[in-house]
Amino acid sequence: MGDFYVNIVHRPELIPEYLQKEAEEGKEEDLTRSEVIEESLDIFRTQQQIAHDNGLRTTIQMTYASLFSEEAVAVAKEHREVYGDEIGCTFLGLQCRQFRDKFKSKELAVWLLSMEDKRRVVDEVFGRFHQLFGFYPTSTGSYYMDAELVNYIKNKYPMVKAAVATCWEEGPKAYWNANNSWYTLMDGGPWNPWIPSKRNIHCPASDADDDIGVVAIPHLSRDLMAVFDGPGSYYGTHPQNILRGMVYEEREIPYFKNLVDQYRSMGKYNRGYSYNMVFVGPGWMSKRGRWEADYDFLLKSYRDGLGYYGELKREGKLIDVTMSDFADIYRQDRPYTRPESTLWKDILYGSKRQQYWHIDPWMRVCLDMNQGGAMVDLRPYAAKLERPVGVGSACLQDASYPFLIQSYYRAGYFTHYAGEGAVKSCKFRHGCEEVDLCACRTLASFSEEGDTRIVTLDPVDIEFDGFTVSVRSQFRFVEGTGEIEIVREIVETTNPQAEVTIDEYATACYGTTEYPEDLTGVKLTLQGASGKEAIDYAYKCREAEMPGIELAEAIVPHVDSRLAMRTESDDCTGYFREGFAFSPMYTIGIKKKVKGKGELRTWLKVAKAS
Amino acid sequence: MAQGRKGKLNYRCPRCLMREIDMDMLFDRDAGEFYCLRCSFTGDEREVLRLNAQFREKYGNRAKRITDF
Repeated sequence: MGDFYVNIVHRPELIPEYLQKEAEEGKEEDLTRSEVIEESLDIFRTQQQIAHDNGLRTTIQMTYASLFSEEAVAVAKEHREVYGDEIGCTFLGLQCRQFRDKFKSKELAVWLLSMEDKRRVVDEVFGRFHQLFGFYPTSTGSYYMDAELVNYIKNKYPMVKAAVATCWEEGPKAYWNANNSWYTLMDGGPWNPWIPSKRNIHCPASDADDDIGVVAIPHLSRDLMAVFDGPGSYYGTHPQNILRGMVYEEREIPYFKNLVDQYRSMGKYNRGYSYNMVFVGPGWMSKRGRWEADYDFLLKSYRDGLGYYGELKREGKLIDVTMSDFADIYRQDRPYTRPESTLWKDILYGSKRQQYWHIDPWMRVCLDMNQGGAMVDLRPYAAKLERPVGVGSACLQDASYPFLIQSYYRAGYFTHYAGEGAVKSCKFRHGCEEVDLCACRTLASFSEEGDTRIVTLDPVDIEFDGFTVSVRSQFRFVEGTGEIEIVREIVETTNPQAEVTIDEYATACYGTTEYPEDLTGVKLTLQGASGKEAIDYAYKCREAEMPGIELAEAIVPHVDSRLAMRTESDDCTGYFREGFAFSPMYTIGIKKKVKGKGELRTWLKVAKAS
Repeated sequence: MAQGRKGKLNYRCPRCLMREIDMDMLFDRDAGEFYCLRCSFTGDEREVLRLNAQFREKYGNRAKRITDF
């Protein structure tokens, strides 16, 4: 693959929540209100027309409600015939009179139903679809599709090959943004298409046995920096999102094009391949306006957005595909071990900040160059956690994939207060002085050596009393190993006689939210030439060191994960540090003294504990 | 006091927006002002628009086309 692929997905919701809420102000709920249904259909037609006017094929994802609209079905059939659009089905837009009559439920999120109800709803939706179109859909989706749901669909309807499966980083931030009312708690997944594991939809499959059988697509292409620290619904390739975030001036939205172009640039990191998706319903394009924008601005924003894709297509820089087409193309050149990565740069706030994102079947990682390359997010995909969600499951609404490190939820590098936050970084010490690379912002570049992706940071200067050292960090992601090689090198010093300690550490925890989890039962271990030392976490502030360290590790049984650091040098000391209740973290580290120039080389590995 | 209703468009509370909470306001027709159910913000449309413009200032690149990647 060496191209920029785009999916435009339209779903004819007939009773979208925004339109319905507006229409029913001061009135009782009525799911058959004809003005809402008619306006929704009008908007759906307009959206389709804008795509077609720009020469773009779409995937029409029929909602359950739309399967009872002769007009919606007729439009879908016509557009398939005339424009080559795909007709799929989505589990969004379930609610309508027929759904209420049949299922006696007001649930709008398919992933939150009980497993029994998920099966019933899938069979009803697919059955109705087949009755109307004479075939089963090959693409489906929702805001989130849990592995158990997709496994059921794939088992019973094996023709399905693509699914909109998650909203990138919609978790506690999205919940907060919606005044604690929007239950898309699904942090921790990929930002671009992936082949999911059978055991957890967030994790890329490790091999053919683990392959769930569909190509998953995230809902929208989101700003990897802004959405990691802000509402997902503000910064993505959906004009409504950008209007909602108010990222415009004088009714112009260059940010949309900037976002598209940064996604196009991902080809540099992913063997030439890049991707974008737009997935919209009619609700946001109300004639009465939405998100402080009147209808004319809403319409303009969509025309401008799809207009840019159309322009790229005419220039031969974009390939518009349906979801099922894309799934076929994606599978043609996608070894399971190949990572997805990108060196994202700020296109919103006006800084030069960069963050490097990496995903493979073992982990998801984010390095923040504003913090000297500190690891601010680490998800242990290697654990392939089976975490069913929905009614009757232990996790219920919490569909996020757990982290070991999430610096924004768990403090990260401390600039005030006592204690520690979750972050992986490196400290440099001389005498009583100590500097953490988190305090040394820099920029990075990306390169490749065979199957190794390399992130090299520009050197930073660390000033000690009387001398300065210049430090370069390098992260080497070796495909297929689940390990990151981390090199901290003193490339210059103004005092070749000065001894400096390089201390590579990971302060971690686990969880899916901002709130602490019980670390009792975490096991911290040091292993080296002199033997082995281990403790079970009990909030007792215990610490241990071991010269001649080979391996420092933390086993976190709560998320079936093993976080390990190793070195191949025989002159390093390893350590662990237990936390306390007001600082619920654990730290593992490896350190080494160097005189003048020198380096510390360690490997970080994430594995399944059991 | 008049019954609160949805006002022109769906103005969100600009103060809640500053902390990234989308909170639709109600409109008091008698007083000609919007008010927030959560944070006690009260203001007319002009004040809402003034604060919305302030909110957008955090986006230093909101009007800039970036093509160098």
